[in-house]
Amino acid sequence: MLTCKQVSNALSKEDYEKLPPLRRFFLNLHVKLCVFCGKFNRQVIESQDMCRCYKEHEETLSDHRPKMDSAKKDQLRDLLASQAREN
Amino acid sequence: MSAKKEPKVPITPPEKWVDLYGDYLYGFAMSRLRNPDAAADCVQDTFLAGIKALERFDGSRDIKFWLRGIMRNKIVDQIRKSIKENKVDIEAEDEALLESFWFKYSGIATTNPDPWQFNPRKYYDNGEFWVVFEKCIAQVKDPAREAFVLRVLEDQSTEEVCKAMDITPNYLWVLLHRAREQLKVSLEANWTGKDAK
Repeated sequence: MLTCKQVSNALSKEDYEKLPPLRRFFLNLHVKLCVFCGKFNRQVIESQDMCRCYKEHEETLSDHRPKMDSAKKDQLRDLLASQAREN
Repeated sequence: MSAKKEPKVPITPPEKWVDLYGDYLYGFAMSRLRNPDAAADCVQDTFLAGIKALERFDGSRDIKFWLRGIMRNKIVDQIRKSIKENKVDIEAEDEALLESFWFKYSGIATTNPDPWQFNPRKYYDNGEFWVVFEKCIAQVKDPAREAFVLRVLEDQSTEEVCKAMDITPNYLWVLLHRAREQLKVSLEANWTGKDAK
């Protein structure tokens, strides 16, 4: 059986989903039963889960993100054209 | 003698990169850096690194994603630079937390965190939720946000983040807790309002 400290350490070092299945099983068991760290570490696992989903959805968010201003774009275009010629 | 492998996808010439990928990469950098100048620098550094490494591009994936891969390193470099300029100081509240019984005994900040006011899992398939989520990440205060971006979004190891931020693993854990806490409060304020409409 894992201790609270071991559960927190494991979650701080690695995403819950990336842990080996057996470790995940014991960790989950501890989080479900523990009156001390259960609520806190359950929220940590949920947060990791949410961030993983966010990363999976990131490609769909580009339309909502800020765009580069046109002056900076012109500057970059010139720079890239000169760099490409040099290469 | 082996013939040079044909790329699976056409290689866009660098002269067209700004028009095709400029906004995409800038938006991506903004989601991590929040600072328009730093994001623009990051795009420029990415394009320049891309031109230098173009010979090594094997064409196995879209060049847009290849450039984004390069950009991930540039984002980490930018955050490192910003941390060097503004050294991370431990706040009194965080110091007290690090010294608290619960933290020392079990590595947790509290035994009874506030429950979520809504179930975020219900909205994982809703694109608008992630737009709000991204805005909420930008509202997290530094250095917690920087720790969150490096460790969670950019998948840097604990050791790498601690080295970049010059902090202990315990303090990193506290910063990540702060980031999660702020993100939750911000999501509850920004999403439940929308949801109720």
